[in-house]
Amino acid sequence: MVTKNKTGGFASKLIGWRMWVQTAFLLVWLDPAGLRLHTMCSPVFHCYACPLATFACPIGVIAQFGALHVFPFIAVGLLIAVGALFGTLICGWVCPFGFLQDLAAKVPTPKFDLPKFTGYFRYVVLIGTVLAVPYFFGESHPLFVCRVCPAGALEAAVPTMVGQAIAGTEVVWPNAIKLTILIVFIIAIFFMKRPWCRVLCPLGAIFSLFNRISAFFLQFDADKCTHCEKCHKLCEYGIEPEKTPNDLNCIRCLECTKCSPDALNLGSIFEQSKSKEIQTQ
Amino acid sequence: MINKNTKILIFGLLVLFGVALLAYGALFHSTTVSAQQDGEPVMLAKSESALIKDASVSGVKRDESGKIKQTYAIGEKAPEACST
Repeated sequence: MVTKNKTGGFASKLIGWRMWVQTAFLLVWLDPAGLRLHTMCSPVFHCYACPLATFACPIGVIAQFGALHVFPFIAVGLLIAVGALFGTLICGWVCPFGFLQDLAAKVPTPKFDLPKFTGYFRYVVLIGTVLAVPYFFGESHPLFVCRVCPAGALEAAVPTMVGQAIAGTEVVWPNAIKLTILIVFIIAIFFMKRPWCRVLCPLGAIFSLFNRISAFFLQFDADKCTHCEKCHKLCEYGIEPEKTPNDLNCIRCLECTKCSPDALNLGSIFEQSKSKEIQTQ
Repeated sequence: MINKNTKILIFGLLVLFGVALLAYGALFHSTTVSAQQDGEPVMLAKSESALIKDASVSGVKRDESGKIKQTYAIGEKAPEACST
C-alpha cells in the first residue's frame, strides 16, 4: 500500500476543497469587518485602493516606496518570510486575484496555452515596472506598475467609476493603457488558465524564486514513479512535475499530487523523511 | 539536490532575515517628510506604517530636490483615492 507523508496526506485531503480555501481567504482580504489596515501589507495581489481591501498590496508598496527612494522594509521582510515558508503555495491557495482567474477558467470556453518562456516576462515586469520605472521616473510615469495593473483597474478604478456614476459626479476614467490591459485581461481569463499569474504577475515572480528552497515544497519520489506521465495531464500549466517539481512557473495547485502512483507529494522540511536527499529541481 | 539540513539552514536564515526586516520596518524605521502647517513648512518623522498608508492614497510625493513632501497640510484630511 502506498503511504503519504503527514503534510502530503493533509494536502491530498485539502485538494478537493481548494476553491473553498480560496473563498475562506477572501474573507481575510475583502475586509468584511471594515478594518482598513492599510498600514500593513498582505502577501497577496489585491489593490489597496479597492473599497474592499483589508491590507496594502506589497507590490504597490514596493513601487510607491521606490518612487520615494525609501526602502520598504515591511513589504520586503514580509515577502521574504512568507516566500521562504510557502513559495508559490500562496498563488495557488491564497491569492484573491488568482482565485478570480480560477473562477473565470470554469466557464466552458476553448482554452489556449502559452509557451513556457512567457513565464519569464514576470521578471521583466518586476524589474521594469515595479523597481526601475518607479525609482528612476517616479509614480507619474505611464509604466509605473499601479498605472498599468489590471487588479487596480478591476478592484479600484471600476468600483470608483461606478460610485461616481451613481453619485452623479464626473466619472474619472483610468488611462488608456490601464483600460486596454483590463479589457485584454478580462478576455484572456476566459480563454487561458491564469494568464496574469503565468505571464505578468510580479508577486508570483518573487514567490517563484523561493520555490526550490521553501519550507513547503513539492516532493518527487523517483522510486514510486511509473513514468505514466499522468502528472503532465493533471498539470494545467504545462509543467512536467516529475522533471521539475518546484518549477518557477508552478503555482502549487497540487493537482499533480493526484497521480495514482503517489510519486508527487507536498513535503515539508519540518518532518522526518526516509531519504536525506530532497529533490528540489 | 539539496541536503535537508542545508535546506533547513537556508529556510531558517531567510525567515530570520525576513522577520528582522519586518520588525525593523514596523517598529523603528521612519522617514522625514516635509508638510505644511498653517502655511509654514514643518518636518515630520513618519513611521513606515504611516508612510505605507499615505503612499496608498498619494498622500506623499518626492519632489525634484529629492525631498519627500506630504501632499496635504497637517490637520487637513488625507486624499481619499489613489492618483493612479
